[in-house]
Order: sequence, then C-alpha cells, then structure tokens
Amino acid sequence: MKSGENSRYDFYPPDPVLLEKLVEKALDKGASYAEARFHARLGDSVLVVNDRVVGGGFEIEEGVAFRVIVDGALGFASTSLLSEESLDSVVDHAVSIARSSSRGFRKKVGMSEERLGQAQYSLKVKKDFRNLELEDKASIVLEYSKSLESKSVDLKAKTFSYSDVLEAKLIITSDGGNIESIIPRVSIFYNIAAEHGDRRANKWGHLAGSGGLELVGELGLESMLKDDVNSLEVNLVKAEPSPKGVMDVIISPEIVGLALHESIGHPSEADRVMGREAAQAGLSYRMWLDGRIGSSKVTVADDPTVPGSYGFYLYDDEAVPARERILINKGELAELLHSRTTAYSFGVQSNGAARAMNYRSEPIVRMSNTYLKPGDMRFEELLEDVKEGIYMKSYMEWNIDEFRLVARYVGLEAYLIKNGRIVKPVRDTVLEIPTESFYSKIDGVGKDLRFYAGICGKGEPPQPLPVWMGGPHVRVRDVRVG
Amino acid sequence: MAPGEVTERERLEEAARTILNALPGDAEKAVKIVGSKSIMVKAARGSVSVAQGFQDLLLEIYLARDGKIAVTSFKTPRLDDAAKIAARVVDKLEKSPLYAPLPEPSGSSSQAVDEKVATMVAEGDTAGLTSLLDPDRWGDISGMAELAVTTTVLTASNGAELTLEKTSFNGYTRIFGREFRSGQWSWVSTRFDEKLAEEAIRTAKQLAEECSKLPEEVPEPGSYRLLLSPMVGGNLLEIVASSLLAGSVLLGFSMFSHNKPGDRIASDALTLSSTPLDDELPGYSMFDDEGVATRDIAAIENGVLKTFLHNTKTARLMGAETTGNAGWILPRLFNLQVDPGDISPDNVYEALGDGLYLTNNWYTRLQNYLEGRFSTVLRDAVIRVRNGKPVSCTPGYKLRLAGSLKDLIINVEAAGSKPYNIMWWEVNRPFKLPHIIVASSPGIEVRRG
Repeated sequence: MKSGENSRYDFYPPDPVLLEKLVEKALDKGASYAEARFHARLGDSVLVVNDRVVGGGFEIEEGVAFRVIVDGALGFASTSLLSEESLDSVVDHAVSIARSSSRGFRKKVGMSEERLGQAQYSLKVKKDFRNLELEDKASIVLEYSKSLESKSVDLKAKTFSYSDVLEAKLIITSDGGNIESIIPRVSIFYNIAAEHGDRRANKWGHLAGSGGLELVGELGLESMLKDDVNSLEVNLVKAEPSPKGVMDVIISPEIVGLALHESIGHPSEADRVMGREAAQAGLSYRMWLDGRIGSSKVTVADDPTVPGSYGFYLYDDEAVPARERILINKGELAELLHSRTTAYSFGVQSNGAARAMNYRSEPIVRMSNTYLKPGDMRFEELLEDVKEGIYMKSYMEWNIDEFRLVARYVGLEAYLIKNGRIVKPVRDTVLEIPTESFYSKIDGVGKDLRFYAGICGKGEPPQPLPVWMGGPHVRVRDVRVG
Repeated sequence: MAPGEVTERERLEEAARTILNALPGDAEKAVKIVGSKSIMVKAARGSVSVAQGFQDLLLEIYLARDGKIAVTSFKTPRLDDAAKIAARVVDKLEKSPLYAPLPEPSGSSSQAVDEKVATMVAEGDTAGLTSLLDPDRWGDISGMAELAVTTTVLTASNGAELTLEKTSFNGYTRIFGREFRSGQWSWVSTRFDEKLAEEAIRTAKQLAEECSKLPEEVPEPGSYRLLLSPMVGGNLLEIVASSLLAGSVLLGFSMFSHNKPGDRIASDALTLSSTPLDDELPGYSMFDDEGVATRDIAAIENGVLKTFLHNTKTARLMGAETTGNAGWILPRLFNLQVDPGDISPDNVYEALGDGLYLTNNWYTRLQNYLEGRFSTVLRDAVIRVRNGKPVSCTPGYKLRLAGSLKDLIINVEAAGSKPYNIMWWEVNRPFKLPHIIVASSPGIEVRRG
C-alpha cells in the first residue's frame, strides 16, 4: 500500500502481517469469524463566505476496526492508536464485548459464504489534488463564488465549502478476503441565500465524485450554480402560487434521483427489512410488500462501479466484489441490498453492499449510486401530451416516513404546463405522494440520465456516506399536487 | 493507581504542551486533545444486534498568522507530523474576514466523572448495557445504550491550560406494540443513572401499550392544539437554537437573520437557553475552544431574543460580545434547556384539553432556512386527546407536521413542570426540556403522510 506523494497525504497502515496475526489471534480466542480493517481518510478543506476565505484546514483520521463473531454474537472495536500493543488490545476488546453481550443475542449472527476478493486497486485521476496547495483549491472556489450574480434578487449569503479526501483501506478477513484500495474524492457544498422584497429563500447544492479536480469541470459546477441562481430568481420574482389538484407532473433528474434513493434504495436495504435499524433509520415496506410496485418503464439499479461516481468502489468492506444490483426490474421489486451478515440471515449471497464510513464504523448495508435506467423520450416528448400539469425542476425540502410509504417534495423552481407547453413559473408546489402511486403512474421516461451527489445517513454511531442519486426526466400521470 | 504513574489527563497535557511548543512562535496557536473511550450495545426487535467499543485520540490545532486561520484535525497517533502540517496549511490561506485575536483565557478546568461509568468502560463491560435492554423485561425492544469517558485538554498561546474530564451515559429505546404501534424515548446523563434509563424505557413501553389499546383514528389534516413530547420539542427547538448561532446567520442558514436582540420572536412562555454549566448533561464544559469561560445564557428569554450565540470572531463581526460558545472558526452549541412551566406530568392531557399528543418525530427538513419553514414526519404514537382524555391513537408514520418554526415558537402556550434529559438520533445536543403545549395555528398543520 503506497502513501501519497505529498507528505500531507501520507498514511501509515500497520504491517498487513500484523493484521493477519491479529485475525488469527481472534480465532484462537474463540471467534468463528474475524475481520481487520485499516481505514484512513486524509484531506484539505476550505470555507469561503461571500467571496472571502474564512478559514481552512487539513484532516487526517486513521485507525483500525476489528470485527468478530463469538458464539453468534457480533463484536466490534476500533482504535486510532496504531501501536502493536493497542491493536492487540483491540482484538481482546472486540472478543470480550462480543462475549459479554452474547446472552442478549436472541438472533445469532453469521456470515454468508462468499467468493472473496484478494486485490489491490487505486483510482487514477487526471488532476491530482495532492499536487495543489490549499490556496490553489481556495482560488477555484473563490472564482465560482465571485462569478455568482443576479440582476433581480439580492444574494445575501454565498457559502462554499470545498473538501477533498483520500480514502485508503486494507481489509483482511479470516476466510480469505484481502483488499487494498485507495479512492480520492472531491466535494463542493454550497448555499446561496437570496432576498427579493420581503421574500427570502435559499438553495444549497453539492457537487462531488470520486476522482481528482477534473471533476469540478466535468460535473459542471458552473452550470449548476447558474441553474440554482435562476431557480431562486424564478421562485422569488416571477413565480405565482402553485395550483392544487390532480394533474400530471414532470419531474427533473434531481428530484427523480432523490425519490429513488429515499423510496426504493432505503427500503431495499436488507438490514432494515430485518428490523436492525428499527430505532434509528427505520423500517421498510419490503417487510410485507413484494411483486409489482411500478410501471413497466421503471427499472432501478444501484451500482458502485459507475466510473467517477461519489459512491464508487470495486470491493465492499467485507471484501465482496461489487456489482450492479437491480432493485426494480420493469416495475417488479427485485434484489435487496445485502452485506454478508444479512445475506446469511436471508440464506442468499451478499451482493457487496457493506460499507463503513471510517475506522470507527462497522460495515452495514448501504447504497452506492442509485438511479433510474433511462428510457428513450426527449423532454419535449414528455411535455407534448400534458394537458395540465407541473414541471418540478428543483426542490428545497423533502422527507419520507420510516416505512418509505409516502414522500414529500417541495419545489423551488417549478412551472405550470398547459397543452404541452410550459406557460409560467409557480412556487411552493408540494408533492406528497405514496411510493406505489409514484412508480406505478410513471408513463414516460426520458433519455437524459444525470446524477447528483448526496450524503446518506444511517447507523449508530451515525455513518454519513457518499452516494450518487440520479435518473432522467420522468412523467407521472394524475397525481395530487398540494 | 500506583504512585508515580502518569494519568491519562497528565499524558494528554504533556502531549498538548509539546505540540504547542512545536508550532511557529510568531503565530497565535491553540491545541486541543480529546482522548475518549466508549462502549455501546445496540438492540433490534428484541435481540442485541451488535456490541461496540471505541478508543479515539483527537488532536485539533488552531493556528492564526497574519489574519489567516487554519484548523487541522488529526485522529491518528502521528502527532509528530501535526505541527508541521498545521504550519504549512495556514501559510497557504488568505486573510480571514472573521479573524479576531484569541481572547484572554477566563475558563476553568473541571470534572464531571462518574467512576462507575469509567470502570465499566475501562473493563469493556457491556453486560450491564445488555441487561438494561432485556427483551424479557421490555418485549419487542430496539435501541441502544452507550457509556463514554472523555478527557479534553486545551492549551493555547493566550495562556490557556485547561482540562475537562467527563463521563456520559445515554441511549434511546423504541418498543413496538401491536401493528407497529410504538413508543420511543431517550435519556442522557453524565452519570450511570439506571433509574433515569429505566424511566425512559418504561415511558417508551407505556406509549406503545397505550397506543395499542386505543382505537385507531388518523386525524383529519389541519391545525390542532399540540402537546409536544420532549423528544419532539428537542428536535424542533434544537433547529431554533442552531438558527441562533451567529455562524448560521453568517452562512445564510438562519431564520433570525433579520432579527436583533430585543425583538420578540416567541411567546413569553418560551425560554430557551444554552447551558454549558449543567454538569448533569455531557455537553458540560467550563471553557470554550478559545479558553473563554462558558456561561448559562438565555438566547430566548420569555419570548424575547436576548442574544445570538457567539465566539470572539462572530462577536467582533456583528458588534457583540462572545457568549462563550466558541468553536474555533464558528460558534457551537453545548447543552440546551427549555425552562419548565407549571403543568404537572399527571395533568398534561388535561392541560391539552382537545388536541394531539405528538410523542416523537423524525426526518425534519427545512423548506426554507431563512423563513424557518419545515416539515417533519411523525413517528411512534400520535395520541388524539379530547376533553383531557386519550381517545384514539395512530402510528406517527401516517402523519406529517408542516409549517413555520417561527409560528410554532410564537404559539407556545405552556410547558410541563418536569424536565427530561433528551438526546438521540434526531436530537444531537444534550437537551433538558419539558412537554410543551402549542396553540392551534394556521401556520402549523398536521397532514396525512
């Protein structure tokens, strides 16, 4: 495992032989399974507010996570202290806490039998952020911040948060898994607060992917910002109150991606279906629902192998090879997302969805890049036979119940459609829609696939993880807009 | 401990001094080291699902030179590299509009340590947490219980040499009754207080049982008189408190950006305070990141905005005084508190009269940070109360609460007399608060999900 060329980005994994010995030690102490993971995250950050660099910094976290199964009980221990003595004690800790809590494990834990990976990989980049100093990264963000302007609204606050991270892992399992990986990621989060008269609104956005600084141009930060300022102008200056009632709605890729993540991706997590997130991230309608959920035009995938994606990986954190998972196939509910522990419970094979945020985190079932497979329609074709409806282009709020049965999306930029044409902007369009209605009423799917970055939350301690969400424009018939 | 043996605190103090000395002499500098150990047991649907233990060392370095500000963070034992990297980073920045000199240190060292917690964590004794979540006692229980020990050392070029040692015991449980009718409650303390935890778990169980016994009735959409449990009040008022941080105003995330101290922003029944000196809660600290003495301070007092929450940087920018809420770049929250009222716990339904008791919520999102418009999904039991009696119940996931947080706080009518210690997935800071009654308002609507 190589360290970076720039000393800031050096990381110091323990000797793999030592980790292998620790895994052996856990087995000797009675564990039926043991797994060691060195996990490092290193990167720069800059905060820019109203065209000024407010501050910056560098962050390193590196440590070792150790997971064991003892008498059907799952024990996890981690440390950021990497001495041989500390690592040795972490094995003892993992085994002892598993053993001392084993009485409470009414449902015994096991690992599915898998073909595990033995590989090393490193994501290549075109423009390596390790070769730039913080001032150069700040200047990129400053340039975009200064370029933001509006003739019709006052931009009261412009906040940009730049960060990059080099994530390195070394995973060794007692049943043969051995994965080394290095993945660089770049992320720019921004918030634009605007006023017009006595009306105020804000739009936040997130550009992020796996790779180098080339992502800033390739993912189109400039056009994202222009679109968002335009959304604020439309909402604050031009839009009229949204109509209410049952009508057709055309939904943009930004909202489609979010909807899929929330109402298809999360309920497809096998640990939720088992109830393992019952007190945290919630439950899933897939506890009782199977079969058809959408029209035949709906096929939803979750795929960690999408090049450049924010949720990119080739092996998961249990050393299982990554692959595309089809969550809905032509309207039929299909695979669940599995780790080895959930696959064991369901009597199936893992599909490589176990991810951990950092060395302090146990691998749990997570999404990667969830998207609706594109169709063959142009945007104009989606519009042309809508008699009366709404085009929701961007959103400012969303939420969904824990079973993922009914979601709410509130439009920021939206338009009234009449007789196949966009006629005027409207504001505060509220779409509160049952999951089954949403997917079963999709009758048109565009061909303009686009992804958006997100941070997905789950677990305890909470584990915010990078994901992409995406899809093309879709047309949903006869839904209630409030 | 054997004579001459170095304590954890002494070890961290020595490390902090060494790193401070290694930082450039011509810069303002501060070093914070946090050593922590914790154990946690998670349960799901009547079974423990994982037992976890964590040991961490966090080093943060603040460096300001020529008006530039850098904060570097290291969760790694490579402390030798830290000073070098921090110095290099600060040189590569521009002057910050937020820069202000580190103030004179006025904070003091302190302890809030329960030896029982410290012993259980040191021994990795998860059996006590496992037995607390015993399904034989509670039934279909999910949740978690956690114990932690932290030692914080702050050393700075302004002369600050401060330490804080504390323990914490927190958790939350959700108990399911029939047909996903559930109750959920949480607890948080600096002490291993089994009674506090058991009372919280018992409350979750009682809510699940009460909801299971009552007939189901999904309320019609509209405005209701509301009884907010401390779980719900904690979630919504934490967002209000975050909006009172001067940094939120600066970054364009505050619903109070057009307000100034002295403005009436809530009803006179609401007093919302930052309470870092409350040593019953693990947000306790007698110094902030700048070494300034923390103080308990009402940000909203009887409905009036008394102050935004500042560090010296935002205070200088906004013409105010620091409130002892420093983060190094932007201010932060410690503990929070809502002052209790005079409704006894036995009379909350009677005080509500006709309305809805919202026992928990989840997934709160702001539609518009600048106007405080929000929606949140209700969770667990939602109990319909008529004539002061519970008459029906529905699982919260079938309902959503939407409206304006500004309207909500202006319509606070009364508060319970008993404060609860709340912290869980949706309430990030330790929060001591009672039940709260909110008058029916067109600005706050219950909607069907």
